[in-house]
Amino acid sequence: MSPTEQHPPAFDRIATGVPGLDPILGGGLVASGVYIVVGEPGAGKTLLANQLCYEQARLGTRCLYVTLLAESHSRMLANLRSMSFFDASQLPQRIYYVSGFRVLEEQGLPGLLELLRREMRNHGAGILVLDGLVQAQEAAGSSRDFKKFIHELQVSAGLTRFTALLLTSSVGPTVHPEYTMVDGILELRERTVAMRSWRELQVRKFRGSASLSGSHHFRISEAGVEVFPRLESVVSRSQPPDWGTQRVRFGVPTLDAMIPEGIAAASTTLVMGPPGCGKTILGASHLAEGLRLGEPGLMVSFYEGPDRLLHKTANVGLALGTAVKEGRLALHWNMPAECNLDLVAHTMLEDVRKRGVKRLFVDGLSAMVETSHEPARISPFFAALTQELRRNGVTTFFTLETPRLFGPDMDVPLGTGLSGVAENLLFMRHLELNGRLRRLLSIFKLRDADYDPTLREFLITPQGIEVQPPFQPSPELLLTGIARFPGNHS
Amino acid sequence: MVPATETVLVVDDEQGILEALADLLREEGYRVLTASHGREALERMAEVKPDLVLTDWMMPVLDGPALIERIQGDPALRHISVLGMSAVDVNGLKRLHPGMEFLQKPFDIRALMKQVRKVLDAHRAREG
Repeated sequence: MSPTEQHPPAFDRIATGVPGLDPILGGGLVASGVYIVVGEPGAGKTLLANQLCYEQARLGTRCLYVTLLAESHSRMLANLRSMSFFDASQLPQRIYYVSGFRVLEEQGLPGLLELLRREMRNHGAGILVLDGLVQAQEAAGSSRDFKKFIHELQVSAGLTRFTALLLTSSVGPTVHPEYTMVDGILELRERTVAMRSWRELQVRKFRGSASLSGSHHFRISEAGVEVFPRLESVVSRSQPPDWGTQRVRFGVPTLDAMIPEGIAAASTTLVMGPPGCGKTILGASHLAEGLRLGEPGLMVSFYEGPDRLLHKTANVGLALGTAVKEGRLALHWNMPAECNLDLVAHTMLEDVRKRGVKRLFVDGLSAMVETSHEPARISPFFAALTQELRRNGVTTFFTLETPRLFGPDMDVPLGTGLSGVAENLLFMRHLELNGRLRRLLSIFKLRDADYDPTLREFLITPQGIEVQPPFQPSPELLLTGIARFPGNHS
Repeated sequence: MVPATETVLVVDDEQGILEALADLLREEGYRVLTASHGREALERMAEVKPDLVLTDWMMPVLDGPALIERIQGDPALRHISVLGMSAVDVNGLKRLHPGMEFLQKPFDIRALMKQVRKVLDAHRAREG
């Protein structure tokens, strides 16, 4: 390109005020564009459009909200009043609600178009919301008339520089051929499997820039619509920084002695084992060691609540409560039945970035695995999550429950995808020997570090985990859970 | 029952609210006219002078404040009482328009009828 050539001007973007949506749209709606938001009744279209209005009003732009046989304005405002984005002071100066239904009934689409143009001009509005496009579609004499209406609206938006959001319920196909001329189509939908349902947003079309493909989870809360971009679609594709020769320790001296150099900083460790074998205490030790060194920590759990975890760890000499009170350690607890992969990851990564978390412990990973509706997604999800944690320099410790307490079968859940992306793999299990229950630990692999590969018994004492010298019984049989002393094969 | 001669002009762009209000006021014995925006209301008033205009605030074409300005600026209309109504917080509107009476949407029907009666009684007392 010669020095006299100019780059085309970048599109001005319109912030939607919907948390998580602008990154999906490549920075927001494109100014002067006409967008369709489609979804069944109750999908969240009205809420999303109002969030756009209140955000833009906050930024100084006037907005016109036109309804066509939708809920009454008083009902709508009553519903919005409990939302955190609602600001009564913007009404009616910056956000103006009118009904266009009677005009549509009496004068059809030409009358409605005239009303929209006139009201936008009279109010000096930069945002138009037309709530109930399906009514306009039904009032159109033909598909051609409806296309003409959208086309003329689009021409007006371009000429007088306003951005329009047209809300419609899905009738027949989700995306009608008549919608093809608009600048973007956002689809909101609810999916249900068995007793559980969740909401998804998908950008079906977006002119002007790339958007994040696929479905993205969203929820409706007092913050309005909150979208959680699919993690795999937002993680950086570039290589994470090299954390060099930095090493970290688990904070269990007898275990750390088995790894003289320590594990690589910003690496991921997966500890597998049956319930009650000590995984949580090992993970908490990892956090406590970080806190001792001044590294902010985060613990994410699914089964045991924060109070119970603090009590449990205090019993083994790990006093984490003070760090929690001081904000050096955060505990995120998620209900296993209702958690969502992207929501958990979003909350986790947000805290990592905000507090500069250096050590993360995710306890009970099977809850995250089981909550996913798409098993094929588990591997790419965990690859993306660990990549992002590595990029932020977080040394991560995951625990994954194996189902069997004892017995010759190991049931290692290697199909979960995480075992493939974890650089360090530790295995814990129970062993019954001579009428006594013992706990065993072994290191399966460690990235870039030598380690002692011997099988070790370990004890959980009031001072924490104590790894014992190499275990004596026939090692080739230990992983089966059926131990025998050498020479005793009866 | 109210005097049969009392006429209320209801102005609202939301068709459902307009019809419901008109029905309720008719049941109370008022003569009711309707308009879906301010300009239509002025057209109605050119034909019949109501005793009370019950007007929404946010409307297309000609909104509530503009309608009131026209009524108050027209010697033939300025004697007509006006009662505003809005889904917007009416306390804020009262501050912006001191002296105006407002009804908060959604309505408590009994409070609505009471307020309408109160304004009309004041109107009758004023007009003799």
